[in-house]
Amino acid sequence: MATKRVLIIDDEETIQTVVQFGIRMTAGWDVFTANSAPKGIQTAQIEQPDVILLDVMMPDMDGIATFKALQSHPETKHIPVIFLTAKAQTSEKRQFNDLGVSGVITKPFNSLDLPDQIAKILHWQLQS
Amino acid sequence: MSKRSSLRKSGTKNPKQRLEKQQLLQPIFEKAYDAIAVTDDQGILIEVNAAACQLFGLSHTALVGRILADFTDTKFDFAQICLRVKAGSEQTGKLELLRPDGAQRQVEYTLTLNVVPQRHLMILRDITDRKKAVEDELWCQRQWVELFSEVTLKIRQSLQLKEILRATVTEVQRILQADRVLIYQVLADGTGKAISEAVLPDYPAILDLEFPEEVFPQEYQQLYAEGRVRAIADVHHPDNGLAECLIEFIDQFDIKSKLIVPILQNLNSHQQSESKSQNQLWGLLIAHHCDRPRQWVDFELELMQQLADQISIALAQAQLLENLEEIVEVRTAELQDVNRNLHQEINDRMQAESALRRSEEQLRLITNALPVFIAYVDDQQYYRFNNQAYEDWLGKSLADIHGCHIRQVWGEDCYQRMQIHVEAALLGDVVTYENEIVLCDGNSRSFNTTYIPHIDEQQVVKGFFSLASDISDRKAIERTKDEFISVVSHELRTPLTSLHSALKILVTGRLGTLSTDGQQMLEIADENTERLVRLVNNVLDLQRIELGKFTMEKQACKAADFMIQATEAMQPMAQQHGVILVTQPVDIQIWVDSDYIVQALTNLLSNAIKFSLSGGTVSLTAQCQQKSQVLFCVHDQGQGIPQSKLETIFERFQQVDSSDSRKKGGTGLGLAICRKIIEQHEGKIWAESILGKGSSFCFTLPTLLRNS
Repeated sequence: MATKRVLIIDDEETIQTVVQFGIRMTAGWDVFTANSAPKGIQTAQIEQPDVILLDVMMPDMDGIATFKALQSHPETKHIPVIFLTAKAQTSEKRQFNDLGVSGVITKPFNSLDLPDQIAKILHWQLQS
Repeated sequence: MSKRSSLRKSGTKNPKQRLEKQQLLQPIFEKAYDAIAVTDDQGILIEVNAAACQLFGLSHTALVGRILADFTDTKFDFAQICLRVKAGSEQTGKLELLRPDGAQRQVEYTLTLNVVPQRHLMILRDITDRKKAVEDELWCQRQWVELFSEVTLKIRQSLQLKEILRATVTEVQRILQADRVLIYQVLADGTGKAISEAVLPDYPAILDLEFPEEVFPQEYQQLYAEGRVRAIADVHHPDNGLAECLIEFIDQFDIKSKLIVPILQNLNSHQQSESKSQNQLWGLLIAHHCDRPRQWVDFELELMQQLADQISIALAQAQLLENLEEIVEVRTAELQDVNRNLHQEINDRMQAESALRRSEEQLRLITNALPVFIAYVDDQQYYRFNNQAYEDWLGKSLADIHGCHIRQVWGEDCYQRMQIHVEAALLGDVVTYENEIVLCDGNSRSFNTTYIPHIDEQQVVKGFFSLASDISDRKAIERTKDEFISVVSHELRTPLTSLHSALKILVTGRLGTLSTDGQQMLEIADENTERLVRLVNNVLDLQRIELGKFTMEKQACKAADFMIQATEAMQPMAQQHGVILVTQPVDIQIWVDSDYIVQALTNLLSNAIKFSLSGGTVSLTAQCQQKSQVLFCVHDQGQGIPQSKLETIFERFQQVDSSDSRKKGGTGLGLAICRKIIEQHEGKIWAESILGKGSSFCFTLPTLLRNS
């Protein structure tokens, strides 16, 4: 399987870092980071990642608004989005799914497990 | 005829014969019973006979030559009478004779004018006695009628039989001038006694003396019953045929003469009696004469009979009265009873009413003092009772609420939210729900409302009791808590994620190797971070569940699906512990939120694995129970749980050994979360255990059958 390109949009830089480290370390995928929604959207348009990991709780423009923005741009519309959220409740998860996101990964997570979880959600075949 | 004509001829023609005739007439004139007088035209007495002398009370010589007018009252005018006789109108008349001795006689006269020229014949008859006798009789009869009507009146006026009888004997005794009058009652056993008596003081009283049967034998009674009346002038006279012994008997009471009439009692007096055969002898009305025999006259008999009849009537009336009195007495007693009961009832009712009033006042006082909505609503959804809060908060008066429909009181919008709960309450369920209510001041407040159905003995829902309390303050606190949880969720979880991930990356050793001690420290940090992650997760889960913040999204699920899901999820942990994890999925449809049930199952499985020894088996089973529920069980072969702990382990931070949480990596919240989840699904959860042999954690869930 070709190397995947992952974009993480999160205002917490530590999260960006551990996600980047974990994914690179486990799967060797390329990880782009953005610390705000507008930057993330911009990066997504430019880089055309295979998946976007999007934090829900962000200042100014939250994950849901960002997702809607991404959906409204033809160049980002097709990119699958997985929410990273501290809101772990079933109903909230369903609400996110109803929006059209590909999946939800709840915090706290172990970034080393992320490639597995992403692959599972997006039905990617991982090289063992 | 020829003889008479010859006499006339001879009278006029033969002097001898005339003399003879005179000799014959003289003694007739003298001996005549009636008084005969010859007068002249002035009424001077020319000749009178002996009877006339006797009538006038004067001798022949004293009388002859007197004028008739001297002996009569002023109304007597002889000349006038002569004129009337001459006119042929009347020959007879009456006059009152005033005798020189002062006596007065009533006289009837016949005047014949000119028996010889200027000599008039006057025949006078003393009718004084005759007239007196007639007058006496008339007087007697009038007296009798008067007395009789008096007695009758007395009888009629009195309803007291004793009084009637007493009046009767007294009056009869007075009227008849009898020495003794008594009423003798014939008793049922054939004996009898005088029950009323009027007797002159000189004679012995008979009253209340009882007479043996032989005095008045049955055959006599029969005769009297048929109406016999006996008037005996002289009891000793042999003609009366009274037995010697009887005469002897009545002699002791000085009875010389007696009059007996029966008093009959008509047994059918209240009916239309067609014959007198129904008459029964009740008694006798008896009059005695004691000093000498007495001839009883007809009217006395008649009087006695009539009085006896009156007594009969009085008897009938008395009997009627007696019956009436009896009936009245019984009815009076009944009425008194009813009256008493009525009084009691009225009293009771008044007491009950005042008690009710008091209790209602008290109820109002209490309910009005409470800052909650309290009401009673009937089965047609109309308010039957409500407290002051309705007035204060809704700005509606009692009249605007009492007897009004819920929809009318709360408005269409609010009613839409209430309706389903109201209907559930009227189906007999206790309902609790929260509602937002806009009060009359325009503020919206949160109310926690409970409806408790009012179910009567026949299990019919008559209405429901409603209690709604303002929980706005609690809601505000809840919101604060929610916000806090939200903050914790984000603010705590985000750094935790970084920490957790960073440590995990370090632990891989790919960023460089640490000394053995450094590696040990890193592992301690990693393990405890992991524990902190679990704790935060569990605390937040439990918090949500307890607050009722989470919503169960129940749907039809196959039990087999989530049994497999849970065991698959726990398989790595089982392998890690060297525990065999088995399940026997069953194909039962249940109505649950599968995510939560999987969570509960994984909690139980992880517990079982943690407390199993390596090589042990943990199994998950399910089976149908009574069609309406499914029983799930997680069995292990671990150390077991002491009996005393079986219930408490479901409480927060309750573990058999407090060191377990550290040793086994649990948070102490897993079972509490499980219990909450199962209870939210209307199920039950419990633990069974045999120390040293293992434990079973079981819970039930309703099947789809019951909820569909």
